Amino acid sequence: MSGESSVRLSGVEKRFGELVAVRSLDLDIAAGEFFSIIGPSGCGKTTTLRMIAGFERPTRGTVEIAGREVTGLPPYRRPVNTVFQSYALFPHLDVFENVAFGLREAHVPRAELRRRAAAAIGLARLGGRERARPSQLSGGQQQRVALARALVNRPEVLLLDEPLGALDLKLRKEMQGQLKDLQREVGITFVYVTHDQEEAFSMSDRVAVMDHGQLEQVGRPEDVYRRPMTPFVASFVGLANQLAGRITGPAPGGRYQVDLDHLGRRRAHGPPGLAAGTPVSVVVRPEDLRLTPAADTQAGPAAATVVDAAFLGAHRTVRLDAGALGQLVAIGQGQSAVAPDDKVVLSWADDDAWAVPAAAEDEAAENGAAEGEAR
Amino acid sequence: MRLRAHPVAGALALAVVGFLWVPILAVAVNSINQNSLMISWGGATAHWYARALDDPNVRSGLTTTIEIALGSTLLSLVIAVSGALWWRRASARARAVYDATVYARIILPEVVFATALFFLFLKTHFPLGVAAIIIGHSVWNSAYAAVIIQARLVGLDPAIEEAAADLGATPWRAFRRVTFAALLPAIIAGGLLTFTFSFDDVVTSYFLGGNSATPLPLVLFGMIRFRITPEINAIGVMVMLFTVTLMGVAVAVFALAGSAGRGRRAALAEFYGR
Repeated sequence: MSGESSVRLSGVEKRFGELVAVRSLDLDIAAGEFFSIIGPSGCGKTTTLRMIAGFERPTRGTVEIAGREVTGLPPYRRPVNTVFQSYALFPHLDVFENVAFGLREAHVPRAELRRRAAAAIGLARLGGRERARPSQLSGGQQQRVALARALVNRPEVLLLDEPLGALDLKLRKEMQGQLKDLQREVGITFVYVTHDQEEAFSMSDRVAVMDHGQLEQVGRPEDVYRRPMTPFVASFVGLANQLAGRITGPAPGGRYQVDLDHLGRRRAHGPPGLAAGTPVSVVVRPEDLRLTPAADTQAGPAAATVVDAAFLGAHRTVRLDAGALGQLVAIGQGQSAVAPDDKVVLSWADDDAWAVPAAAEDEAAENGAAEGEAR
Repeated sequence: MRLRAHPVAGALALAVVGFLWVPILAVAVNSINQNSLMISWGGATAHWYARALDDPNVRSGLTTTIEIALGSTLLSLVIAVSGALWWRRASARARAVYDATVYARIILPEVVFATALFFLFLKTHFPLGVAAIIIGHSVWNSAYAAVIIQARLVGLDPAIEEAAADLGATPWRAFRRVTFAALLPAIIAGGLLTFTFSFDDVVTSYFLGGNSATPLPLVLFGMIRFRITPEINAIGVMVMLFTVTLMGVAVAVFALAGSAGRGRRAALAEFYGR
């Protein structure tokens, strides 16, 4: 094995006829990492996973697994295993034989096969169900058979394609915790594809955000959330209030001076290298937006009217009509005092504002044949 | 008890059961009737069975029938399985065309295919006989097998082949261990059905047999035209027993395959041995 890298995609592109499913993708996934690829449906995340598994061959570029190039290798010659969205369990085989399938293909000696299959079944908490057919199992149990069937082969990389998609919410939350624990225990690289950003964040060491076949951003969940590089990432990952404006120059502490439409001069953090005059979208997360009751008819530019306040248990979500600024959202425990039609004044700390170049949004939205921007 | 509760329904049910089973019972009784004219009960005997088994016409008829049934079953299954596999990856329009050809072979009268093939074989100088009958039977048999196998295939998750490849199976191994294995119950069921259909066919065999091939149903047909004897009844009983046994064996094989218990394996605490 070549040190750190477990999966490396270099300049990978996949076309289906006219359709570009994935364009110029570079990705480096470290050994032992829990790595998620998120994005809306059709963003190319599943195609990317299928290229790692070997079900699709890239139109261009190379795929390396554990330091070995596998671009032209069929799935059965790659040291990876997949947990399928539909589970794809073998209906004619019982739980034990499903789990032992890969071991039999690898001609593992009988005693070792039994030991390893039994261990994987135990790990998936399916002890006692060895002789059951998949059709006799619950959705959660089937999911765990799919997991055991893949893990028993000790792959270099485990690929998971929306594995929790078919489960109900409660079971889903439970499985998220179990998956994370499992990954820590076995130390295998997990590449996890989902459209559920929260799910990805709760488990992953790093997250890649894709849109229209394009990699938008890669980073730790917190970085992706706190420091989105494109308006798409800002809006896809959690809720975001986006305020239009323009960079006017640098400010102390690596920040920028921003001239916000309707609000005037503010300060915001942002990716390095934004020149004066760059149109930006300033992101303020709902939990960072502070609401103060407006004194009488104080109608400043940051004034807003409460549209709706929804109580969600741990916190409260407040929808706001901020006039020219559009619809905004605030979340927090301190918002309990407001009621619909209340007038409030909006504020936030400069450190909680993050500027994203707005021009990138047009490029991403057009999404022509042109190659993408920097990430 | 339920018969008493619904007198009309009960009477109807009895009549149906009677119409189904009384002729069979009569055949069974007459097959051991010493009275060769079968006018009255003349005491039990196994004589007619021995005579039927000794009859060279019956023996060669049976051999021919089994040859034809096996050949037609095999040919039909190959056609049906490969057709079903193609069908799964075909476009919607191609599927519709294929389905139409399958149902046409089931719906159109057998005699139409038989005469058509008869003329085709004459024109092309294809010899009438066992091979011609096998082809003739396979026309409709392959359609029945296709319907059964496709029904099973539709229920299969197409991802299971990818799963097999993902777990290290080469395309051939994936086909054998997953696709074919998952289809096997349908293939066996289709095989039994086609074998039975071929076994008792008269029309196609009559048209395509020529002088060289006379399967058992045609032998019986010929004998009946001459005279009805207890021997014919004995043959009928044997054919019936053979078919029932065949079905019984198939059911037993299914049951065994389903519950093949190899003992339960205790889950071990450790997972990674390396």
